[in-house]
Amino acid sequence: MAAESLLALEGVGHRFGGLTVLRSVTFDVPERRIVGLIGPNGSGKTTLFNIVSGYIRPITGTIRFDGTPLVRDSIQRRGAAGLVRTFQTPQVFEKMTVLENVMVGCCKLTRTSMVQDLLRTPAARRQMKAIREQAEVACERFQLTALRHLPAASLSAGQRRILEIARAVVGRPRLLLLDEPSSGLNQSEIESLREWIVRLNQEGMTVLLVSHDMALMTVADTVHTLYFGEIIASGDMAAIQRDARVREVYLGV
Amino acid sequence: MTFSLVLQAIFAGVTNGLVYALVGMGLSTIFKGSRVINAMQGEFSVIGAMTTVLLLSQMHWPYPLAIAAGALVGAMLGGAIELAFVRYMTRKNASEDSFLLLTIGLALTLSASVLFFVGRDGHLLPPLGGDGVFILFDAVIQVHALWLIAIAIAATIGLRLFFHRTTLGLSMMAASIDADGAATTGINVARMRTYTFVLGGLLGALGGILVTPLVAVDYQLGLSLTLKGFAAAVLGGLTNPLGAAVGGITLGLVESLAIVGISSSYKDVVAFSVLIVIMILMPQGILGRAGRRGG
Amino acid sequence: MRWSWPSLAVALVVWAILPLVVSRGTADLLVFTGIYSIAGLGIGLLLGHCGIVNLAQATFYGIGAYASAYCAVNLGLPAPVGFSVGALVSMALAYVIGRPVLRLTGYFLALGTLALSAIASALFFEWDWLTGGTLGIGGIPKLGLLGFALDRPSRYYYFVWIVAFGCMIVARNLVDSRTGLMLRAMRDSSTAAASLTVDIQGLRTRIFVVCALFGSIAGSLFAHHASFVSTQSFTVERSITFLLIPVIGGATSIPGIVVGALFVTFLPELLSKLGDFHQILFGLALVAVVVALPNGVMGAVESLWIRATRRSGHGG
Repeated sequence: MAAESLLALEGVGHRFGGLTVLRSVTFDVPERRIVGLIGPNGSGKTTLFNIVSGYIRPITGTIRFDGTPLVRDSIQRRGAAGLVRTFQTPQVFEKMTVLENVMVGCCKLTRTSMVQDLLRTPAARRQMKAIREQAEVACERFQLTALRHLPAASLSAGQRRILEIARAVVGRPRLLLLDEPSSGLNQSEIESLREWIVRLNQEGMTVLLVSHDMALMTVADTVHTLYFGEIIASGDMAAIQRDARVREVYLGV
Repeated sequence: MTFSLVLQAIFAGVTNGLVYALVGMGLSTIFKGSRVINAMQGEFSVIGAMTTVLLLSQMHWPYPLAIAAGALVGAMLGGAIELAFVRYMTRKNASEDSFLLLTIGLALTLSASVLFFVGRDGHLLPPLGGDGVFILFDAVIQVHALWLIAIAIAATIGLRLFFHRTTLGLSMMAASIDADGAATTGINVARMRTYTFVLGGLLGALGGILVTPLVAVDYQLGLSLTLKGFAAAVLGGLTNPLGAAVGGITLGLVESLAIVGISSSYKDVVAFSVLIVIMILMPQGILGRAGRRGG
Repeated sequence: MRWSWPSLAVALVVWAILPLVVSRGTADLLVFTGIYSIAGLGIGLLLGHCGIVNLAQATFYGIGAYASAYCAVNLGLPAPVGFSVGALVSMALAYVIGRPVLRLTGYFLALGTLALSAIASALFFEWDWLTGGTLGIGGIPKLGLLGFALDRPSRYYYFVWIVAFGCMIVARNLVDSRTGLMLRAMRDSSTAAASLTVDIQGLRTRIFVVCALFGSIAGSLFAHHASFVSTQSFTVERSITFLLIPVIGGATSIPGIVVGALFVTFLPELLSKLGDFHQILFGLALVAVVVALPNGVMGAVESLWIRATRRSGHGG
């Protein structure tokens, strides 16, 4: 494990009843890099994501985030530590406005208690103002300003994806897990998404990306191929596409 | 606490429990078929029982006929409500909360109707098989209770056979599991949903009729039966109508053992506390199938 | 829908002179409307902002009422003690019971809260050494404020409604705050909210405690109004009534709570002239509201408002 690994998985395995979904997955995500995960359907990519983000506990293996093992850390604790994910179908808060969605992302940066909120103390008012301002800035940045007072339910798939990412990023996470971010998006939206991933990474964000879209995957520095719960190949996209086992798995060649 | 007392309590528990089971099976059937929590389930019981009472005492119908008519009225009421209200709201994509509140409103309306048409008095039905009792190890067991248990078990088995062996039952199951898939095989999904309400009404009415020789039925009994029936259904796993049988018996036993063990006044406290504990510890209910959450 | 200053001022004036111009019976109902608004406010918070159906409010309403009654009558303590004891017991109970029960969701949670209300109702009945059972506790003194005895409905009205306005301001603060954001996030997608560090279990429990506090305050106010409390007022049916308030009026709207409270206090009274038939009409009215106005009365009003302003205003 390289010393600058932000995320390190070692021997992670998981079963659902009798079905082994992950065998022994070992890889790491160095800081400030983009790492990709590809694999056919059923290879365990989403399960792996759920494990890393804390929605499932692995049966075997360890996961280290910034050197510290994540044992029984809740989803919320991992989020607070800087590990944020998006979902295959964008999970926006439908009945809230776009701006409010982003504001929720800012909530983790402040710490008013509920009593302060009930009494609307000056501290609570200040923090709310700060949250709103940060959210407005983020909307500007992600070009959502025109939409910001619309309910999130009225957004297109591409806009929802951007909103989801904006909401995740505004909390200044250290590691961004993107689960099939291009699903449901049209070509120009995927292009826009790709630009965003590159831009965020250039600004210092570490990204772990799961996708079946090979073109999108070219943003990744390293790609691991997952097949039936194990990594069968690793390398940059060009190497992966030449790898014999990968070709066999994907093309039956 | 003598043996005969415990035996009597067990018997009473099973008897009451099967009444809750019938109410709960109806509730569960409706929920499985339409995802509607039927808060007026107990009112079907009351109205079915009241119908039988009136036909028997005012119109002097023969008892078996009056019972059949009461059950039929419950069934038709269920169907009528589905057609009049549930269909409309389903088309407007009402939320699950809205359906719950609809059935609460209907429950209030139905119980008020019973009050208006029948008055405040409680009514009893004659026990099946006469006033006879069995004495077993000094425990007193009414003949009617035996009839109740037999009929309830028959209904449970009948329900299972209906759902798994008859075309109509299978169609109803299919429509509830996968509406679109069922529609492509020619099943009229909307009509199936109406039938689940008809079946739910029938089961509720049957439960009400069977309990009325033991407990006087009045306009207020509905809420209590709905609550217990709901508890029975949840204990059994909510989407498994037969689970309500197990859930109902469990509830009945807990209640009656609480009566002999602690005191009759605390029976509700014990029963509902057990319900809460089981819901928290066993989210799939006692029979536990694929974890079905309530919402 | 924003209220303009002139319309708020008018509403305030109407509110202020109302008890002076209506009959004593109506003033009495208006006091109840205020009390029910407080209880309904808590339920509305849970329903509208958390998507939780809470059928346990009669429990805390009862605790507040009995605490005030017992402290004032049996112990001879001044009224604020009763209020405080009721509030503290309610909040503590809500916290202890809420933590496990609020791990349930959907219908299971609704049933759990309903079971709680049934248990409380039975205990109010059983523990007659504390509550007086069906005989209840009588002779609860009216409240006095700054030398004024609030012994007439038209006087108590002001006190109750000022407390109600206070509760509404607190509720509004919560909704507009960071906590409010997290609540609505939790309601819309708990999966995503968790990933954004929203403490779902903790929030649910704390809002349940707030709801219980409102219920308790309402109960204490009720005790000093009715002078006599007994188990009939704290049944499962009462919990259902409290649930109806935000349902009818509109769960996310504070004026809606008042509309709902008016509905459940005035309508039965107005219909009672028709004898036993009135309960049927009440049930039907409720069904009509649920079917025709899924977002409550205020929800429908807001939709009309939006459509009206869009038509008279400019496009896009």
